[in-house]
Amino acid sequence: MTVPSLVSSCARAATAKEAAFRIDYPLAPARATRVVGFDAHAVEVVRSAAGHEWNQAQFYSAADPGLQLVTVAGEPRPLAGVLDGVDSVVMVAATGEGAEAVATIGAACHVRGIMTAGLVLTPGRLTSDALVALRPSARVLLVPADEDDLLELLRAIRA
Amino acid sequence: MLRTEINELLTQTGPGTPMGQLFRRYWQPVLLAEELPGNDCPPVRVKILSERLLAFRDSDGRYGLIDEFCAHRGASLWFGRNEEGGLRCPYHGWKYDVTGQAIEVPSEPETSNFCANVKLQSYPLVKIGDVLWAYLGDPAKRPPLPEWEFITVPEGQAFTSKRLQECNWLQALEGGIDSSHVSFLHSGSLDNDPLFKGSRGNAYNKGDLKPFFEVVDYEGGLLIGARRNAEEGHYYWRVTPWVLPNFTMVPPRGDHPVHGHFWVPIDDENCWAYSFDYHPTRKLTENEVAAMRAGMGVHSANDASYRPLANKDNDYLMDRDAQRRGETYSGIKGIALQDASLQESMGPIVDRTKERLVATDAGIIKARQKLRKAALALTEDGTEPVGNRSVDQKVRSVAIVLPADQSFIDGIGEAMVARPGVGQTTV
Repeated sequence: MTVPSLVSSCARAATAKEAAFRIDYPLAPARATRVVGFDAHAVEVVRSAAGHEWNQAQFYSAADPGLQLVTVAGEPRPLAGVLDGVDSVVMVAATGEGAEAVATIGAACHVRGIMTAGLVLTPGRLTSDALVALRPSARVLLVPADEDDLLELLRAIRA
Repeated sequence: MLRTEINELLTQTGPGTPMGQLFRRYWQPVLLAEELPGNDCPPVRVKILSERLLAFRDSDGRYGLIDEFCAHRGASLWFGRNEEGGLRCPYHGWKYDVTGQAIEVPSEPETSNFCANVKLQSYPLVKIGDVLWAYLGDPAKRPPLPEWEFITVPEGQAFTSKRLQECNWLQALEGGIDSSHVSFLHSGSLDNDPLFKGSRGNAYNKGDLKPFFEVVDYEGGLLIGARRNAEEGHYYWRVTPWVLPNFTMVPPRGDHPVHGHFWVPIDDENCWAYSFDYHPTRKLTENEVAAMRAGMGVHSANDASYRPLANKDNDYLMDRDAQRRGETYSGIKGIALQDASLQESMGPIVDRTKERLVATDAGIIKARQKLRKAALALTEDGTEPVGNRSVDQKVRSVAIVLPADQSFIDGIGEAMVARPGVGQTTV
């Protein structure tokens, strides 16, 4: 094999010194994320999370059949509009309530190529109706989860 | 992304740092037993958690892990003479036992009590399985000795190797938690590697490149379940356990041995990958051990100091032709180096303020959260961490096909619990 004449031309460039030459530019705009709660406890957690500072995240509640969501200010919004231009949807559930709405939103995300995540708010329990409801529709599930997990996930994906 | 201060908290493991304090609550692998093969053998330099130490085995077979440097003038005791029950500095003849206690200071009068007051920092070092384990923390908080299954199966059923990885420990650990890269980076190895090929699960892996994930929070750490389509009405689950702070296992394939890793910080820019294979119910075959020694499976072919022969000085022996032929996905040979090449390319400590995580990185996100909380709870409130109890360590990875409507936690039942003489649950 040929020997590169510059350290940056080979894998040896993985030093702290060479890292200083990585191009520094602002991160691309934050992901457009929607967070949806499906039952009383989940909505409470979603509402609390909405009180933090976010880039483009928006927060809703949903009930069956799920074709219409409600903002934390209590305003109804059609699902299709809520999902317009969205990158990811985080679904939050503590019970099996709203299973039809979960399925409706999950299917709408699948059609639009939107990433879905689910948080199962069942402290101390690893199986639940909420898990069964979310599983088919969430590409990734956190079990069990709490509000802190929701905040951590949203911060990590720069919501 | 992570804020700078959290990235620093998670990646710095030296004395006095929160993550360093956390690591000092666990027994950690520091050497392979083969590195101290006999009584009075040459001592070995050990750097772990940013502390420079020296390991030796005295005339009676006792293991010692002591400060590398002589208390007299600071010379390295690696140059010392290991003889007659202690390690003697060749500079002026000061001699220490395995506890770091000075036992001879030749320049002092024979009746002097001087050496009673000279003691080097030392840590307990014990051999369990093929590994020498050390505990660098408060003696009063020392947990029970490690009971991982790979070090407790009968002789001949396990193989352990180690390799240098030239990046921070967390980059390496996160590779062990991130199941989604397997379908890409390691895809060629499923067909070619004698320690992976031939299992039914491989076909599921290759047939479904977009797995679903469930990240389950359990007491010792996390269980990361990757779900892929299997036969009609069934899912193929691969369940990866992570036990705090740095132990991961890979889900098994067929009757191949089960494998996993410890990711041990050397300093903040280097770590050791301790990689093991074991079978719960049978001895490893000669062919399996030969393949492991040759660097297949999760192991690597190394030089005498455990640095992989394929490393960043030779571009990891990149083979673009093999990449084109589909033998390897990245052009790098071997699972271990496929991971290491990319993780080292991120830099010694990757700047996590610049990363763009996605929801399928939830396992990594959750692991970071648990590490941060454990480190802060220990340093701020004295809350003892999880992961160092016997029950936490008797864990197994699992590969299983379950009905579509069954939770993997229900489905695997006791399959994730290590039980002597009971085979692994595998597909």
